[in-house]
Amino acid sequence: MTSWLLGRSSRILIHQQQQLHKGPFLNYNSSCSSFRSTEPFRCRDALPGKNSSPTLFRFWRHESTKAEAQLELEQDVTEDDPKQIIDFPGGKVGFTSEMRFISESPQKRVPCYRVLDGNGEILKYSDYVQVGKEMGVKMYSDMVTLQTMDSIFYEVQRQGRISFYLTQMGEEAVNIASAAALSPDDIILPQYREPGVLLWRGFTLQQFVHQCFGNTHDFGKGRQMPIHYGSNKHNYFTVSSPIATQLPQAVGAAYSLKMDGKSACAVTFCGDGATSEGDFHAAMNFAAVMEAPVVFICRNNGWAISTPVEDQFRSDGIVVKGKAYGIWSIRVDGNDALAVYSAVHTAREIAIREKRPVLIEALTYRVGHHSTSDDSTKYRGTGEIEYWKTARNPVNRFKRWVERNDWWSDKDELELRSSVRKQLMHAIQVAEKAQKPPLEDLFSDVYDQLPSNLQEQERLLRKTIQKHPKDYPSDVPL
Amino acid sequence: MRKFTTIFSHIKSTKMNFSVSLLHRSSPFCPNQPPHPNFKNLTWQNRDSLLLFPLLCSRHFASTTAQNPSTLNALQDHYQAIDFPGGAVQFIPEMRFISESPKERIPCYRVLDDNGQPILGHNFVQVSKEVAVKMYTDMVTLRSMDTIFYEAQRQGRISFYVTAIGEEAINVASAAALAMDDVVFPQYREAGVLLWRGFTLQEFANQLFSNIYDYGKGRQMPAHYGSKKHNYFTVASTIATQISHAVGAAYSLKMDKKDACAVTYFGDGGSSEGDFHAALNFAAVLEAPVIFICRNNGWAISTPISDQFRSDGVVVKGQAYGVRSIRVDGNDALAIYSAIQAARQMAITEERPILIEALTYRVGHHTTSDDSTKYRPANEIEWWRVARDPVVRFRKWIEKHGWWNDMAESELINNLRQQLLHTIQEAEGVEKPPLADSFSDVYDVAPSNLREQEQWLKEIVRKQPQEYPTNISV
Repeated sequence: MTSWLLGRSSRILIHQQQQLHKGPFLNYNSSCSSFRSTEPFRCRDALPGKNSSPTLFRFWRHESTKAEAQLELEQDVTEDDPKQIIDFPGGKVGFTSEMRFISESPQKRVPCYRVLDGNGEILKYSDYVQVGKEMGVKMYSDMVTLQTMDSIFYEVQRQGRISFYLTQMGEEAVNIASAAALSPDDIILPQYREPGVLLWRGFTLQQFVHQCFGNTHDFGKGRQMPIHYGSNKHNYFTVSSPIATQLPQAVGAAYSLKMDGKSACAVTFCGDGATSEGDFHAAMNFAAVMEAPVVFICRNNGWAISTPVEDQFRSDGIVVKGKAYGIWSIRVDGNDALAVYSAVHTAREIAIREKRPVLIEALTYRVGHHSTSDDSTKYRGTGEIEYWKTARNPVNRFKRWVERNDWWSDKDELELRSSVRKQLMHAIQVAEKAQKPPLEDLFSDVYDQLPSNLQEQERLLRKTIQKHPKDYPSDVPL
Repeated sequence: MRKFTTIFSHIKSTKMNFSVSLLHRSSPFCPNQPPHPNFKNLTWQNRDSLLLFPLLCSRHFASTTAQNPSTLNALQDHYQAIDFPGGAVQFIPEMRFISESPKERIPCYRVLDDNGQPILGHNFVQVSKEVAVKMYTDMVTLRSMDTIFYEAQRQGRISFYVTAIGEEAINVASAAALAMDDVVFPQYREAGVLLWRGFTLQEFANQLFSNIYDYGKGRQMPAHYGSKKHNYFTVASTIATQISHAVGAAYSLKMDKKDACAVTYFGDGGSSEGDFHAALNFAAVLEAPVIFICRNNGWAISTPISDQFRSDGVVVKGQAYGVRSIRVDGNDALAIYSAIQAARQMAITEERPILIEALTYRVGHHTTSDDSTKYRPANEIEWWRVARDPVVRFRKWIEKHGWWNDMAESELINNLRQQLLHTIQEAEGVEKPPLADSFSDVYDVAPSNLREQEQWLKEIVRKQPQEYPTNISV
């Protein structure tokens, strides 16, 4: 690490020395610059006959105290004097004698990439990554499975059989389609509303239920509240409650993958609210500077519990934050499984091949309550919720597409839903009857080895239980 | 929290001239507006109406405007614009990633060229002779301070010093563009702002020597100046913590309806701290009248900015938060003055944050604890010291106006040197703050455990007086 940094510093010093000798004014076309400025990746699977880029936005002059709006995708900066290019640390920069403030938001919002329209039809001129029947059917099946899991587990919590639950309603496409676009070697660092990724990777319904019940078969040994899933086998980092902490961790993991020469990337998920945490800032900046192969997927579902996005930020969402860090970014219709699949697939390729981070903002809507501890009708209208649940449902939209391909039928649908329901009911019965983890699991794994003070505390607790056995639950083995 | 929400609703209501209830949002568009079941069936007229609704609900998307059919066709947007939370957004079928940086860097606003000549254009704020001469004399004063105090540290007379060499224009010109009621939250390389506001050379020296006249009672290391009288918040070593403090202060100024703003300074390295992120986001969401001034001098101690960030500097971070921003030549006093004055107007009248990135170069070492020739070549430093000197550039401009001459320069420098040497002698000869100051001001009133600790220490000093310095009264 040290030698690598020294190497970088040496290169930079030489670079700057070369700049210095050229004197105060450089050629306009000089390539001296210490930040990367390559053209963004364009999908090679694009269909022919694409439209040309949108019309370039033209600059116009305003009074000095008024900010100018700019089309973010294209920027037509007119230099007052092309010879006035001079070096400041960070690369050459042109001068302007006009005092123009960059507007706080672009004139038009960054557009949203979409493949399927509301009726499940592929849009004309759409460029997207092809999905075969097998993949398409599995994607749809997992979306339905996720939806069914949520319905049943939510009710189980309402019945007091588990303590807490959190649904993915409305965000099934973001979950499943992104997982489908990744490789099992890609390391996942989730927030908490992404169990669909783990489902895709083979985590069984029974395993989900064990964690929610905190029983002896839970890989986490019952130590965390429900839905804090994790699986070493599936490269899915265990969920933790503090928001956004996983983001810089993902960058470190990605850097490690790069150093190890792996053909894999780290993928981390967060909500719109998490983008306000300082760790988001740290992660994005480190990812860019360390050139880490990481894909950041932000589920912008409009809410952070009761906080709407206009009280979360005043930017044009999260996609515009990419440029602030020197990171490629794209905005995707999060309710369109094919758009999410295509964007994540492409982002993964870019991240691994070019060793760079990529930011994806998936626009969606949180149809369910934030969690079982929330009643979202207290801060948003039921009409709004219903609209997103019915008219903008990602599962229904994808279903129309797979049906149109003749890959799916009503009969398949009934069979699937019935089968998943039975499996879930069975899984719940099994989990509910299982024992809780043993008492010793409260003390183990704090460190790799149990230090003497923890051993002592365990002995004290056992002694207390011996004295007052009636005060302790009988389904926790001693 | 309920009270906060109520206050916030009131603020938004006042600003937008009608009431918006944050607690009872009832539709993706507007209160009482039912969603349309099928957008594809909308007529152009209806579509325009739908596009206009976000304007009423979310002022921060004022740039979203309705497009007439011909414009939409010209932009080749055949696809519907549809609402997600946060406002209407167009769809595109092409998978197009936004590049990590623009083809060309954001241009840098400049008024004077390297020869002190105004560049074409009329877009700068006029400066009177009186203000200009004071600006220049303060820049020279700041530099003389740095030269002499730096040597005092090398001689071991003070423990630490940080210079502002190369960044005098940012310091003094920004201060000149502000009002005394504006509250300043510095990092540590902005002593020139305090100088402009009337902090005397003696007051600077008293802090550096941590003597009994130091307002900080000798509790912080040198260069950590502060002055309530001058609305200059005391410097703290922790990087970027002051940025979010400034936002809170600005919000308070707004609530109190003061005709003033908060101004905070930080370096390029400070922009990597999480507190920078918190500050800019809070400032935008709470619509706080605050100016963020980033001194991008190319280095954070030994870390060059290519290892600090990979964006096009700091100016592009403004739009990521919904904050208006501008990039300025930090070595051009007039450009700084103009940009800050305009920013101040906007911040106060429009109740919004502004981000200013001033490009400059740290000519001096990071501090007296740093030898910068270990990580950057001496000739690079020399080039910036000589060819790009902000003080010399500004001097050329005022001389051209006939406001300054060689004789005035000699007089000023000689006078400053004498004053500074005198202040050092004065400060050095004064006793240190009393022992009691080590325990007071932790809380407003000293609790019993601290009083007890103070008594213990006094007793120890009394028993072994020879172990303690004689210039600290017990």
